[in-house]
Amino acid sequence: MAFSPLIQNLIDALRCLPGVGPKSAQRMAFHLLQRDRPGAARLADALVKAVDNVGECAECRLLTEQPICDICASPRRDRSLMCIVESPADVFALEQATDYSGVYFVLMGRLSPLDGIGPKELGLERLEARFAAGEVKEIILATNPTVEGEATAQYIAEMAHEHNVVTSRIAHGVPIGGELEYVDSGTLSHAFAGRREYR
Amino acid sequence: MEQQRFVLEPGFVLHQHAYGENHAIIELFTRELGRVGVVARGVRSPRSRRRGLLQPFGELLLSWQSRGELGQLSGVEPKGMPMSLSGKRILSGFYLNEVLLRLVRREDPHPELYDAYRETLKLLAEGGAEGDTLRLFEKRLLAELGYGLLLDTDIEGEPIEPDVLYDYRLEQGPVRAGMRPALPIHGTSLLALAAEQLDSPIQRREVKHLMRHALSAQLGDKPLKSRELYAQRLGQRQEGRKR
Repeated sequence: MAFSPLIQNLIDALRCLPGVGPKSAQRMAFHLLQRDRPGAARLADALVKAVDNVGECAECRLLTEQPICDICASPRRDRSLMCIVESPADVFALEQATDYSGVYFVLMGRLSPLDGIGPKELGLERLEARFAAGEVKEIILATNPTVEGEATAQYIAEMAHEHNVVTSRIAHGVPIGGELEYVDSGTLSHAFAGRREYR
Repeated sequence: MEQQRFVLEPGFVLHQHAYGENHAIIELFTRELGRVGVVARGVRSPRSRRRGLLQPFGELLLSWQSRGELGQLSGVEPKGMPMSLSGKRILSGFYLNEVLLRLVRREDPHPELYDAYRETLKLLAEGGAEGDTLRLFEKRLLAELGYGLLLDTDIEGEPIEPDVLYDYRLEQGPVRAGMRPALPIHGTSLLALAAEQLDSPIQRREVKHLMRHALSAQLGDKPLKSRELYAQRLGQRQEGRKR
């Protein structure tokens, strides 16, 4: 039996969510329609509002409904220190895990020449303008430890060097609670090469 | 079509495309089977143990099953020490991979090209001269694909003389240059490329020019994206110096 058009439409729309296949989309649709109509209305309302209003922060490209995000606008943040990440999710991960007090710059991707993603797609000219403006004194490159992330870090590091911005790169290492025996050899060799003095 | 199994074949990852939420389509370059496309299921999920391994520029031992166009990756192990490009050299690695993706067809084995690729990556990783290393790879690539350059004699069969200026005609070979050579190159540069040992800036410049044209003839009009990125980086650096 086919669903009526509106229900089918809802099921199809729900499938745009990550990890949601036809079966879970169907379950969600029925749940919303049978058991939680107010919740469904709230969800619809929230979605519309978010899609209409949330954009990118003019300074760091983090998602926000304000012209400038809370982090960039905060007077307590050290604006001479900038952490560069690939995605907004990385910002939240770092915010929860560290007591970092500088600002961020979100690239919304990474250099991947074979996919046609170059410096322009990542807004690197905006980043360079910020280096040129002179406010940023130090950057922390927190792109992912993939080949593309590394290429991106390198590209930005060269840009920073030209503007005399101090640059560091996050360390790659063995996960806490991990065992060397089970760590992949690439990570292990990085961890070994990047060892530090220990007292 | 019958299902074929390949077990622990040496190979490299050339490129990865996302496929669905957690899967990836991976272009491999293997020694015995040439370029192969495989689906790696679940490799992009956060818990995947293969994710770190399936990066370009490190030699792997790969197992997959195939039935027709795309195979299904079933196993990955690192082969020997991870040798990985770092920093600026990554762009050269992207360039190698892009050229291979563009010029080598799927399932067309080239063991010697594979060995040349592996050696090139090793030289790049160990800090060998970047330009020279790439030029020699380009030379071997063209030879392996059947477009090898004539370097020790001119098209008449006369030995190349070091001090003579030649005009290189692609698909034919060097001729003694007339009034306005389209692709001028000195005998010494041709001989240096033949001997795989470039010694002077002039040789490097002429050989680079020659290889650029010889490769373009095979690549067609579509520009290489990795080369564009490289040019942008250089342009940016020169701009920076002016300031």
